[in-house]
Amino acid sequence: MTVTPDLPQSRIKSVSDSDPIETAAPQKGAAILKQRFFGKSSVALVLFIPLTLGLFTLLVVVPMIEAASFSFYDWNGYGPMTDFAGLENYGDVLTHRHFSKALRNSFLVIAVSLCVQLPLALWAALALVQNNWGISVIRTLFFLPYMLAEVAAGLMWRFVFDGNYGVVPAVGDMFGVSLPFVLGDKFWVMPAIMLVIVWKYFGFHMMIYIAALQSIPKDVIEAARLDGVSRWKIIWHVQIPMIRSAILITVFFAIIGALQLFDLIIPLSGGGPSHSSHTIVSFLYQFGITRMKLGFGGAVSVILFVVCVAITIGYRHYLTSRKWD
Amino acid sequence: MKRLVIGAGLLALSVVPSVSAETIDWLHIESVPSTVEIMEAAAKEYETANPDVKINVQFLENEAYKAKLTTLLQSDAAPDIFYSWGGGVMGDQAKAGVLRTIGEATGDEIRAAIGGAGINAFTRDDALYGLAQNVSEVVFWGNKELLDKAGVSVEDMKTWDGLLASVKKIKEAGITPIAIGSQDKWPAHFYWSYLVVRLAGQDAFDAARTGEGDGFGGDPFVKAGEMFLDLVALEPFQEGHLAADYGTASGHFGDGKAALHLMGNWDYKNQRKSSESGEGLSDDQLVIVPFPTVAGGAGDDGDTLGGINGWIFHRDAPDSAVKFMEWYLSKDVQARFAESATYIPITRGASDTMDNTFFKEISGHINDAKWHAIFFDQELGADVGGVVNDISVELVDNAISAQEAAELVKEAVQDSQ
Repeated sequence: MTVTPDLPQSRIKSVSDSDPIETAAPQKGAAILKQRFFGKSSVALVLFIPLTLGLFTLLVVVPMIEAASFSFYDWNGYGPMTDFAGLENYGDVLTHRHFSKALRNSFLVIAVSLCVQLPLALWAALALVQNNWGISVIRTLFFLPYMLAEVAAGLMWRFVFDGNYGVVPAVGDMFGVSLPFVLGDKFWVMPAIMLVIVWKYFGFHMMIYIAALQSIPKDVIEAARLDGVSRWKIIWHVQIPMIRSAILITVFFAIIGALQLFDLIIPLSGGGPSHSSHTIVSFLYQFGITRMKLGFGGAVSVILFVVCVAITIGYRHYLTSRKWD
Repeated sequence: MKRLVIGAGLLALSVVPSVSAETIDWLHIESVPSTVEIMEAAAKEYETANPDVKINVQFLENEAYKAKLTTLLQSDAAPDIFYSWGGGVMGDQAKAGVLRTIGEATGDEIRAAIGGAGINAFTRDDALYGLAQNVSEVVFWGNKELLDKAGVSVEDMKTWDGLLASVKKIKEAGITPIAIGSQDKWPAHFYWSYLVVRLAGQDAFDAARTGEGDGFGGDPFVKAGEMFLDLVALEPFQEGHLAADYGTASGHFGDGKAALHLMGNWDYKNQRKSSESGEGLSDDQLVIVPFPTVAGGAGDDGDTLGGINGWIFHRDAPDSAVKFMEWYLSKDVQARFAESATYIPITRGASDTMDNTFFKEISGHINDAKWHAIFFDQELGADVGGVVNDISVELVDNAISAQEAAELVKEAVQDSQ
């Protein structure tokens, strides 16, 4: 927990209504500490931190610890846990005949998110960074899918892909070809799901990029242009480096989001056909929760948690160990 | 001021009866609107006759219901009365202590009306947990017109070999032989389960579920998978069936796009609801084809697969909930469902007025059956039952061998013991 090192303007003003910087500057050591911990902002801290921490503990930490504790028991969800199973559930998960497929699919989604979704979002952001009426409409259209509930989007695309009445067979008919029932085909089901993922989330990343691109001072780009730098070089050497932090955060969102992918899978394919489109979380739901094997489900969630934490730490380490400028 | 006080007093008095009325939460999974209407009307009727009771009718869709029930039953939002297929799932609930035993709260009259089979289906370790409502059987629903067009009769499909030959003929006539909602898995499990009923019979099934001998790895269970694969090899199902759920398949059959649909008697109404026109196939267009017999199988040819479904009670359910169910399952109320061909009530005499020929035929099959096997995915519990569903859909997809399928069920039984 870090306290913001700069005093907020409102705080400074409260010290004196005269020139705030001059007045605040001479304050040293204990006086600043006193201001920080006993001033108005500390009231906000006392009011909001316990509530936030309490909710976080109740809704995140406690369930996490509980799920982890399930994983050491053979438990069907009813009554108290009595049947201690040690690490058996972990063994069962790792040797489960569909787990490796689910794991592979999750990493496939990460790969597509990073290699297709983010570049597409960046391209769209660069194309739509200007502010005018027409561009705003297009931007909103691209952002709309992100605002749709996952289940609604999943059901919508299920209709699109439907081999009898959907859009896919209609398009096939137009070209006189018979297209497969994509959600019932072991090969096509994952590409179909990934198409929906890209469609659903690229607008979100695009918005982050647009916000970042708009914060680049115009004169920097102007200067480059005056120097005769080509459009492509401006993008590559000026704009992208300047929105680096936005890109880094979207990479992180994309990875963690891909690992947690669940609510699009269930309405689209239910993990099928023959369990070929499960992700780690839909695997957890199917083989842990609906089978009333909560110990097994707990073990999957712990494994997922470890993977997420490892990626987070690894990513942070990678970022801090690199000299960017 | 005085008026105000009197007014407030009167208001308070008028509120008291509704506050003291006991609310019974009744959770069902019925999605056919006409059936829900009858249920809700019955609840209203009971409320009128018993002003101290309020029936709160709640609904959850079938798949969501199965997924949510475990959590729901242990929460404050647990319903008092909820739908059950009996079997291992109910057994797990009973063992966990989330159910109420109702032996002491039920009268002899209702026990006699429901009958021995219904009472047994909801009894575990001599304790009664629920009241049976209806019986159901899985049969091939046939589209007469399409079967005629292909030159196939019901008689031709009496045996498994006959079914395979008929499927070939139907296909040659350019008709999709069978509709199936493989994505939901349970529709696929009817095939493997029914073949087990025919090949293994009740004794071998009971032995296998307790893990005796070779368990589910034994010959009849492997053979069931092999015979199922023989059917799958003919590619008898509609295109894209792996992405179709039960509703889609039912609609496909109702739209006259497939000749057969292996499904419980509830599909009589569902195929109409799910069809494009909402009309589905009329009585004249429908025919029942009992599941084929298998030469040399240990099971009796007349054994049936289906359900005895009913209502069970949460541990905190009040006596009034049991009383309501006793009334609801009485002959008079249940006859309404029989007359509207919603289901076949188990209550004695309730189906006497049933004039639907299909339901009468099915009722006859169940009465004549030596073993009315309960849906395996319910009978074997969520875990083993889930594996049966898995292997069934993998057999439909030709993604697994019969031997592997049987071994997986066997392992699931071992793991659960």
